[in-house]
Amino acid sequence: MSWLFTRNKEEEPTSKIDSSELQVPTEATASDILSGSEFDPAKLHPLADLDKPLDYLLIEEDALSTLPGDSMAIPSRGWQDDLCYGTGTSYLSGLAIGGLWGLNEGMKKTKDITSTRLRLNGILNGVTRRGPFVGNSLGVLALVYNGINSLIGYKRQKHGWENSVAAGALTGALYKSTRGLRAMAISSSLVATAAGIWTLAKRSFTKRLN
Amino acid sequence: MASADHTRDPCPYVILNDFGAAFSMGTIGGAIWHSIKGWRNSPPGEKRISAIAAAKTRAPVLGGNFGVWGGLFSTFDCAVKGVRRKEDPWNAIIAGFFTGGALAVRGGWRATRNGAIGCACILAVFEGLGIALGRMNAEYNRPVAPVIPDAPASGSTSAAPAAV
Repeated sequence: MSWLFTRNKEEEPTSKIDSSELQVPTEATASDILSGSEFDPAKLHPLADLDKPLDYLLIEEDALSTLPGDSMAIPSRGWQDDLCYGTGTSYLSGLAIGGLWGLNEGMKKTKDITSTRLRLNGILNGVTRRGPFVGNSLGVLALVYNGINSLIGYKRQKHGWENSVAAGALTGALYKSTRGLRAMAISSSLVATAAGIWTLAKRSFTKRLN
Repeated sequence: MASADHTRDPCPYVILNDFGAAFSMGTIGGAIWHSIKGWRNSPPGEKRISAIAAAKTRAPVLGGNFGVWGGLFSTFDCAVKGVRRKEDPWNAIIAGFFTGGALAVRGGWRATRNGAIGCACILAVFEGLGIALGRMNAEYNRPVAPVIPDAPASGSTSAAPAAV
């Protein structure tokens, strides 16, 4: 089974490399490398641009999001990261909340059943009935909210609480768009409030962190 | 073999990312799919409203199924990586085995076994395809030894080379 598990064979590196030793004090140029040899970089081909500092392979991570404005809850590389993390977190928390709700409901409904198997089945039915419902609703809300929020941020070239509240209002209106104006207004204001509270909470959290 | 992918986040956090990505994919794809299906399967005059209704009811469910699969797979993938301390195609296959089993666990032992094996096979095919495509790409970009020009005649070293 050694092809499957390697933990036992793993060895601790005997000497840790000091990170300060790795840093090159100045940027090397072609003349530094070619000095001592017969080649003069100034006389080599002019198109090769050998006077400038040398380019190394770029192995850094992608740049983080550069839009000014609201700080993120987590480092983000752009709208895809915002969308995926926002949707994933909302969906998962919705699943957990709905699961607890379904658990509670299932426990209450199957109080009188003595058979363990039937009771377990009833409770699981409750969990799988409520969990995905809440999770799906929250996930779709977060998906649309994050999409609109990123779009507004892209159009305005900055983030801010106005963006979040506007995105929340649009999301809520879209969510209940088949139920008439009254329901749209109610859900719009609810989601906008939630978005505003989330922005404030995020801001205070990241401010304390910095 | 496969090395760490630096475009993805480190392990515990990437689960949330994968959950969201899978859910979004399922929801957006499901919205397109079910609105077209609802449009086609309804009488004229009700096409628009039934397309919207079908997309509203079915797209989040499809998204949820996608999301649960992707999130569970990512969770198992991270767990397997943590246990094995290795990055190779077996991670995905083992994670697929557990995912398929976990999703079918309510159908009894046979369903769990079949789901696990089927899912592992699908992922083995995916990983194999990935390796094959990687090999093909590597074949296209095979490193070619540069043509070395003849050594300059001795004695002319004092003259600077005009253009290399």
